[in-house]
Amino acid sequence: MTASAEPASEGRLRLTVVGGYLGSGKTTWLRHQLFERAFGRAEVLVNEAAETPVDDALLAGAEGLRVLSGGCVCCTARDDLITALRALCDARSQRDSRGPRAEQVVLETSGLADPAPIVEAIRADPVLVYHIVVSEVVVIVDALHALAQLRSEPLGRQQIETADRLILTKVDVAGPADLSRLVATLRRINPAAPISAAILGTPADLPPLDPDAAAEDLPALDGTAAAPVFPARLVLDESTDWTAFAVWLSALLHARGDDVLRVKGVVRTPAGRLLLQAVRRVVQSPEILPEQGPEGGREDGTIVVIGRGYEAADLSTSLRRFTRAGG
Amino acid sequence: MCSICGFPAAPGHWTEAGASEAPDRLRARFRRGQVLNAVLRSYGVSAHDGGVVPGIQLASFSGAQSIVPDLEAVWPEVERLTGRVVDPLDPRFTAPAGVGGA
Repeated sequence: MTASAEPASEGRLRLTVVGGYLGSGKTTWLRHQLFERAFGRAEVLVNEAAETPVDDALLAGAEGLRVLSGGCVCCTARDDLITALRALCDARSQRDSRGPRAEQVVLETSGLADPAPIVEAIRADPVLVYHIVVSEVVVIVDALHALAQLRSEPLGRQQIETADRLILTKVDVAGPADLSRLVATLRRINPAAPISAAILGTPADLPPLDPDAAAEDLPALDGTAAAPVFPARLVLDESTDWTAFAVWLSALLHARGDDVLRVKGVVRTPAGRLLLQAVRRVVQSPEILPEQGPEGGREDGTIVVIGRGYEAADLSTSLRRFTRAGG
Repeated sequence: MCSICGFPAAPGHWTEAGASEAPDRLRARFRRGQVLNAVLRSYGVSAHDGGVVPGIQLASFSGAQSIVPDLEAVWPEVERLTGRVVDPLDPRFTAPAGVGGA
């Protein structure tokens, strides 16, 4: 995370969720990150759906490693996850804050987990909400098999939709045509997440892609709307105040949380520049960003809403109605 | 969190992140009450936030009343009070000016 994000954690533990389909290379990637100390002093939680854990042997080098096996933490073993996280927070609170103590938790989910319910469960827990802030959802994508999984598995699509960052693995063995099609498909499912590549955990450059590659037309699966996902830009002018916008967005996420997959942007408020991020119904605690100098060309007041099943123009008309309501 | 009354149950809701100073916070609460009240009027619900009692007070025109802690809790509560979902993409909010509207 960047230095600007630090004050927002307010002494809370930062949690990184590492997700991805079965066999996509989550453990390999995580092992390399831990070896490189990318997460600093991190506690690691590994979830395995099977009863017999294997991954703990691979991650033996990690400081503070716990394995939750015999159930998936997004559904059957959710209580185990909450208990384990509470124990981590307890142990951390008992240590002297001036001494070294973990500032990060990395949770490697099982390949069968949808990261969204995990983030929601942490936010709904009255203890954890004071101790943990979810900083990032990283989803590992298998460049060889992801297209086949996306065609048939709703879970594979949910994982991609939830990601803040996508990491393609096995890019050295996937053909360039398949890779181009996969990247185009991923960009269609989650246009907001940056895509990078890794080979056996080591960051690698994406091979040159065909810019004209068409995204795969994914068949509709039960429970998945066939409507295409598209990004819409909402420009908040001076007349749109943050409070009215928050009223509107909270109503939108309540009514259309299944269709609005991602909301991202920087809004100007009396407290400063606010970085807003939402994944489906879950809005992360907004971070206050430092003021940008005259050379910082970031557009404030532009919100990207990624979703399906509505007209892009309706978003701005409706927001304007909300803003004008109440004078 | 207050160890006697347990308020607030969670540290700052995201919708309240835009105000860090006390006067800004109070101004934001008044404005929030005003916008909510205008939006919810067409659903037969009034909203009030006087800035003193924590939470947002909701009252349906049939007399039912409740207090919710934050904006996110407003929408399911309105649904419970009225049996209708407040959808910002409902035609009443998206129709061209002059046709319906809140």
